Amino acid sequence: MSSFLTVIKKEIGSVLRDGTIIIAVLIQLFIASFSSALLLGMLSLYDADTIMKFGGAGIKIGIVASDDTLGSMMSERGLKVFHYESLIQAEGALYQGKVTAIIVVPAAAGATSEIQLYLPNSEAFSSLIRMVIQEPLKQYENHLRAQNGIDVRYADLQGKPATSFEFVYSVLIPLLMFFPAFVAGSMTIDSLTEEVENNTLQTLLSAPLTINKIIAGKIAAAVIVAIVQCLTWLAMLQANGTVIKNLIWVILLALIVAGLAATLAALGAVFFKDRERSQFVYSLALLAMVSIGALLNLSPITAMSRLAIGDPYVSGWNVAVFAVFLAALWALLLKASRRLAV
Amino acid sequence: MNQILAIAWREITRLRKRFSGGASPLAVIALMGIIALSSYFLQDAVSLGSGLYRVGAFGDAPEITDSRFSVVEVKSADEGKALLDEKMIDVFVNGAQVNYRADDKSQYAVKSLKQYLEKQELIRVGNSYEYNLAFPLRVGINYLPLNRPAGQNPQQETPPVDKPKETIIPSLTPPPAPFAQVLVALLFIMPITFISIFFTSSFMDEKLNRRLTILLSAPVTPFQIIFGKMLPYAIFALVGVALVAATTGGKILLSLAIFAPTILFIFAIYLMVPLFYRTFKDTTFIAMFVTTMTTAYLVFPAMFTNVNDVSYVSPLTLAVKMYRGESFGWREYLFPSIPMAGIFIFAMFAGTRLLNEEFLMGYKPITQKIKDAIYLMMARSKPYIAVPLWSLITIPAVYMTQVVLLAFATNLPSRLILGAVLFGSAMIEEVVKSAGIIALAEHRVITSARSIFGLSFLSGLGFLIGEKLLVAISISMVSDARVSGALFGAGLLLLVPLLAHFIFTSITTILTTKLKFPYWLSLFIASAVHFVYNFLILRGS
Repeated sequence: MSSFLTVIKKEIGSVLRDGTIIIAVLIQLFIASFSSALLLGMLSLYDADTIMKFGGAGIKIGIVASDDTLGSMMSERGLKVFHYESLIQAEGALYQGKVTAIIVVPAAAGATSEIQLYLPNSEAFSSLIRMVIQEPLKQYENHLRAQNGIDVRYADLQGKPATSFEFVYSVLIPLLMFFPAFVAGSMTIDSLTEEVENNTLQTLLSAPLTINKIIAGKIAAAVIVAIVQCLTWLAMLQANGTVIKNLIWVILLALIVAGLAATLAALGAVFFKDRERSQFVYSLALLAMVSIGALLNLSPITAMSRLAIGDPYVSGWNVAVFAVFLAALWALLLKASRRLAV
Repeated sequence: MNQILAIAWREITRLRKRFSGGASPLAVIALMGIIALSSYFLQDAVSLGSGLYRVGAFGDAPEITDSRFSVVEVKSADEGKALLDEKMIDVFVNGAQVNYRADDKSQYAVKSLKQYLEKQELIRVGNSYEYNLAFPLRVGINYLPLNRPAGQNPQQETPPVDKPKETIIPSLTPPPAPFAQVLVALLFIMPITFISIFFTSSFMDEKLNRRLTILLSAPVTPFQIIFGKMLPYAIFALVGVALVAATTGGKILLSLAIFAPTILFIFAIYLMVPLFYRTFKDTTFIAMFVTTMTTAYLVFPAMFTNVNDVSYVSPLTLAVKMYRGESFGWREYLFPSIPMAGIFIFAMFAGTRLLNEEFLMGYKPITQKIKDAIYLMMARSKPYIAVPLWSLITIPAVYMTQVVLLAFATNLPSRLILGAVLFGSAMIEEVVKSAGIIALAEHRVITSARSIFGLSFLSGLGFLIGEKLLVAISISMVSDARVSGALFGAGLLLLVPLLAHFIFTSITTILTTKLKFPYWLSLFIASAVHFVYNFLILRGS
């Protein structure tokens, strides 16, 4: 047991001494903050609600219409609407900067009606306007459908914009909990193949250490490094006001997935013995496992989201499933590990 | 040339041996299978919030197959409402009615469900009614010039209603969102990064089994070795780009032209990995770091395609324009390409100077290794040529780091963004300007305070010429040059900035070499002074 602990200590020591683990931590911080910045950036650029909240007041619509249906639908959304008698008048207002876009609604004739939209010839601004008037136009379309005797259901549902919420629980938390696992796998491969390629494994084996103890020690060290990162992220998320339910299960799932990744990586190293091919196959195998997991409705990502969100149908059993996988993979590794020593 | 080709051919043979044997057809099949499977999976999982909500459905409700919702079976309306109250489900669709709670999660679920149900309703309505009844609204989209055309009389002229540019049906035509095209453009980066990882590991492998040492003693130059080893992978990367263009309906030749500088850039960065790593773990972490940073540099600006001209710093913007069928000129092409090609040339230069056994094999702290590298790059020339040249040619790298910094800073609270970017930029500039001098002083090439002051002046001069060149390019290119002007501290008079650069650089170099301050501290002091200077300039303009 003590020799096993020595391997772990040596591994963690080398990680700390190299200092490059800091880069891995920085990357995670960067990816997490960068993806949320992207999302919020996207929101402010491409989401009608957000545009209205910030810069929407600058958009003024000139309407030429015989009735006020579309105009009032637009005002309800918070858009500024001005009415004009003719397109010539509206155009004059546009060139004077009183309105930013013009809509001409001809008197209804037959089942379909065609309205004309006049936008400024600037792509950025006109696409902004089109995003903002999309909802009122759809509403108007439903109004016309009603005149044709077609009832459209669910059109007046409200709710709160969910993008941030969905991002935090389905992307950010799984990302922060599983990226350390990915790193743990890479670390295991690096550490094992380095011993092989530098011919130091034979020396290690001449010490009172079995090959299984060496591998297990390296995996354990990688998993410890991973779980320390996970705990840090969890603490930071909670300090940031993100509610994480089922905390124990969340940590346990992160631990098991880190173990899975490291064991899978060790298997790769055992079969290929060099870094280049092991890393390559490890990445592919990880991708394949995630895909298969998703197909079988057994994705650790979904399980992680649901645990963190406090889904009533998810419990420790969903975590236990992955523990079974880990055990199976571990057994396989124990069978194959002797290949590394020859 | 022959030598380069010989090394390139040797590289291909090496790669073939690495991935050969009876298993290789099997490996190819497995690879294809995995890629097909994952793309299928990714297609299904692109929607945010997969599996987050629980929904109950009863009665004449549409079937809910959206990946965000898991459906809970409900046998009666009362059961559904009870489940909703117990928080076992977030939303309950009861025929045409939708029940929900007032808490956040239920509200989010309703908003997401609405988007899905609306689509389903469109399908239902479209299937059960005549097309013109189901989709009764047409919107013709016309564009007007930003200013009244000259000579048009406001009273008499009838407005130009020829034919609308396009006619849309609102519920069937989502407004244009550039995001999807940015994602498609991102597809180009993946094969390039993937292949460059093989380039890196080939270098590492040869470094490890000392073949590189043998090669270095052969009558070939380091440049021929690097270029020869890079050549096959660069060709693979070009083929990858062509394949992506062909499968996504892009123009192949145009894509090759857009991404050739990007390939050089990514390879240049990845060339640094085998030069600097000490252990295998280093490689993994450095490679991850490099991948993240380059992706951020390429993707972040492209998000602002057609919103802000600064987006042109990334070649992905050009690819996005290509997919939208828009045109761009030579200047738009050269704007992202020149800094990338600049980095490549710089990296090749660094590579040829660093490719020697002593540097490759030494295990030292990474900061020491970087210091050694800077020294090796300068050692063969006279200091008064090497120092200003160093400041001049690192400008593209400074510029790119500052863009990444800007991307990173957008996460901060908005009132801190400008300050953080200004301070970070100042710090990067000070590092670049002082690093060479300090490396030379540490190797006792220069000792006197006078020569340190002199070199600080030359370093500031080199940097100033470089940044003015860059600002000149950006002003001619980017209409919103205030951003880059602020980043680079563009003043109107050239003497003032020259003096400023000289002072900042001298602070770092003199404090470190003569007063024996730790480098980080003198750097911090100089950056703080630089920051204050930039801040005052910005205030003034």
